[in-house]
Amino acid sequence: MVKGGGGLERKSKASQEIPSSSMADIAFLLLIFFMVSTVFQKDRNRPIEWTQAAATEKMDQKQKNIQNIWVESNGDVYINDLPIPMEEVSDLIRPMYASNRELLVSIRSDRAAPYLYIDAVQQELVAAGLLRVVFATELEQDMTRERR
Amino acid sequence: MAVLGGKKSKVSDEIPSSSMADIAFLLLIFFLVTTTFPKDKGLAIVLPEQGETQEVSQRNILHILINPTGAVTIRRGESQQEQTVRPDDVEAIWRQDVAQNENLIAAVKTHPDAPYRFMIDVLDALQSAGSERISLQILE
Repeated sequence: MVKGGGGLERKSKASQEIPSSSMADIAFLLLIFFMVSTVFQKDRNRPIEWTQAAATEKMDQKQKNIQNIWVESNGDVYINDLPIPMEEVSDLIRPMYASNRELLVSIRSDRAAPYLYIDAVQQELVAAGLLRVVFATELEQDMTRERR
Repeated sequence: MAVLGGKKSKVSDEIPSSSMADIAFLLLIFFLVTTTFPKDKGLAIVLPEQGETQEVSQRNILHILINPTGAVTIRRGESQQEQTVRPDDVEAIWRQDVAQNENLIAAVKTHPDAPYRFMIDVLDALQSAGSERISLQILE
């Protein structure tokens, strides 16, 4: 309460407390903002069966430096959700590599894809001058190691 | 206010909402801290530059031929002797051979119709064995 001077006591109608009821709204707003603004991946996952490898390493690269190339078992190539004819891959990758020298390509291919297509993608990448390539695999645990 | 016999209850009839903010912030911080983004994983390799050819003595090459059935044929250098193994066995073969010749290069030649996973199996075996000099080719 505010004590008025000169003996005149008057009750202030303003609350003494800082209004804290809206704090929850602020917090939830922040929560929703971060939920909405978080970008996970540029392209959607394509339905492929992963290959497994025990020597799988994590890539210490920022998401923006990694370009995924999806190769399906029938030879279809997808880059950023768009189907790309095999012979146009290098034309697409070349400007990407020119603007970002840190770029590396992750080849995500179906385990059953004939090697012919993987080799063709490699040739396209070499033609675009991009040499750092990662064959995306899943870590193979010794326990789940299948009989080959 | 609850009035009981004209006596004012001191208990507030509102649900205390001041701690809601703390709860929300706690949740926010918890999820911020615990979120791990799925890291990209895989087998890294550096492709040769275009037009870059290196003369390599046949003695230093370990030919690894991958057939469409998944069988792996090993041929050492100039000798025409062939040995058919499983992809898993490549790791032991590489370790054994590189101990004798430290300039050894693995030439992985995959048949065009061979499924991708067999090539990955062999590459996995080579990388598990610590091999860095790997050449990926297509079998012609």
